[in-house]
Amino acid sequence: MTSYYRPGSASEAVAILAANPGAMVIAGGTDLVIDRRLGRADPRAPLVDVTGINELRGVRWDGDELHLGATATISAIESDPAVIVRTSALAEAARVLGSVQIRNMATLGGNLCTASPAAEMVPPLMVHDAVAAIRGPAGERRQAVADVVTGPRTTILASGEILTNVRLRAPALSGSCYLRQTVRWAMDLAGVGVAAWVLTDGTGREAAVQEARVALGAVAPTAVLVPGLESLLAGAPPTTERLGAVSAAASAACEPISDTRGTAEHRRHVAGVLAARALSIAHARAAGLWSGGLAPVNGRASAVTSSGERA
Amino acid sequence: MRISITVNGDPVAQPVDPSDTLLSVLRERLHLIGTKWGCLTGDCGACTVIVDDRSVVSCLQTVGQIDGADITTIEGIAGRGRMMNDLQEAFVTHGAAQCGFCTPGMVVAAEQLLRDGVEPNGAAIREGLAGNLCRCTGYSKIIDAVLSVALARME
Ligand SMILES: Cc1cc2nc3c(=O)[nH]c(=O)nc-3n(C[C@H](O)[C@H](O)[C@H](O)COP(=O)(O)OP(=O)(O)OC[C@H]3O[C@@H](n4cnc5c(N)ncnc54)[C@H](O)[C@@H]3O)c2cc1C
Ligand code: FES
Ligand code: FES
Repeated sequence: MTSYYRPGSASEAVAILAANPGAMVIAGGTDLVIDRRLGRADPRAPLVDVTGINELRGVRWDGDELHLGATATISAIESDPAVIVRTSALAEAARVLGSVQIRNMATLGGNLCTASPAAEMVPPLMVHDAVAAIRGPAGERRQAVADVVTGPRTTILASGEILTNVRLRAPALSGSCYLRQTVRWAMDLAGVGVAAWVLTDGTGREAAVQEARVALGAVAPTAVLVPGLESLLAGAPPTTERLGAVSAAASAACEPISDTRGTAEHRRHVAGVLAARALSIAHARAAGLWSGGLAPVNGRASAVTSSGERA
Repeated sequence: MRISITVNGDPVAQPVDPSDTLLSVLRERLHLIGTKWGCLTGDCGACTVIVDDRSVVSCLQTVGQIDGADITTIEGIAGRGRMMNDLQEAFVTHGAAQCGFCTPGMVVAAEQLLRDGVEPNGAAIREGLAGNLCRCTGYSKIIDAVLSVALARME
């Protein structure tokens, strides 16, 4: 019989981990239960179930700050009305992750800590400049989500540390979008996943971009932020020409592999296309021009650009 | 750690290992074999059960995580003393089962979808059942059956 612990607080969880070297944290179990059965994780390792810890739960807004508990389920994120409107990229990533059953079990913290190159929630968290709180024997430290995942299946969490929450701000005049390309329209991992976030200086078609971020998933060993966007976009609306430059920058930021979900060349191309599309939708949302609800699954979204064309 | 759960209204008396999957407890300890043992990777949905008003894949659910929960399996979906509910009857009348292997998971997932108030249209039902694979029917008759109940229950 495997030792199984269900602590009621984060400090208790940390103490149990310290006392049981080799123990593993389990949240939704949608990755770990499979890994244990297949021997990718030690099936005899003691389990520390963090889903009983109140302080790790839930989706909560405090003004324009969003507080996501590590064990917030993907379905809770998908269905939060303010997440849908204010941090749309998170809702758009959540609602394409797995199936209803998987989303009811899978947690945000598990998605981050599993550190899959295709992990759905990571690019949206990165463009929203989210900060993770990590608790260990020495107390709590904060780390940008962009720095938490260090490689395929590796994170900066030391053994004995747990992720407790992720926080981000959603200021007025900001908007975001997540689009992904898959082979099947549901129950598939992303071939390419793209999140975009824009802060504008006002509303309407001519609203200029103040800040912008684009992050790409599944096209490199970890999700990557596209560098150099400020100089391409800041101070003006995202015209077709500027969006073309965003596409090129996104394609250039990829280091894709070829597999059953697409060739490296195809992934690089699709990343560019989706980056421009996601960015123009994020701009439309920030500038109050978007009334289309969440973008359809599988990247097939279009938005009207500032020059009036369909992107 | 002592686990207390109820399955289809009955408390489970025997001790279970908290790291065991709900699927293995249901089938091997409680002999409730309507819940199917399919892929064990969360992909097929044949093992779907309801845990406190949420559908989950029981092959990936450890029982330690659902201490105190009420579980409903296909054996309990119609309610006590009833053979079948309206949804199960619709599966029969629409010919929505062939080999039947996916059917328990499909019915349980669809029942929770209906309780959650799925929009009565094919697209919403398809999306809601994306985690349940069927190798036989081609899905159309399953969607028709669920849609008929979604509409009937609105009346
Ligand atoms: C059928 C199926 C479809 C899927 N589809 C998708 C998809 O489309 N997109 C996608 O991104 N993923 C997908 N996944 C993968 C998986 O569901 C997600 O990665 C999920 O978010 C993992 O969360 P969890 O709570 O289940 O993690 P668990 O399995 O509980 O844990 C995963 C890892 O994270 C660690 N961990 C969890 N929580 C913490 C914490 N608080 N602190 C420290 N470490 C922690 C665990 O130790 C473990 O190593 C799918 C999985 C299945 C089975
Ligand atoms: S057996 Fe659980 S999803 Fe296939
Ligand atoms: S009826 Fe055979 S798998 Fe669905």
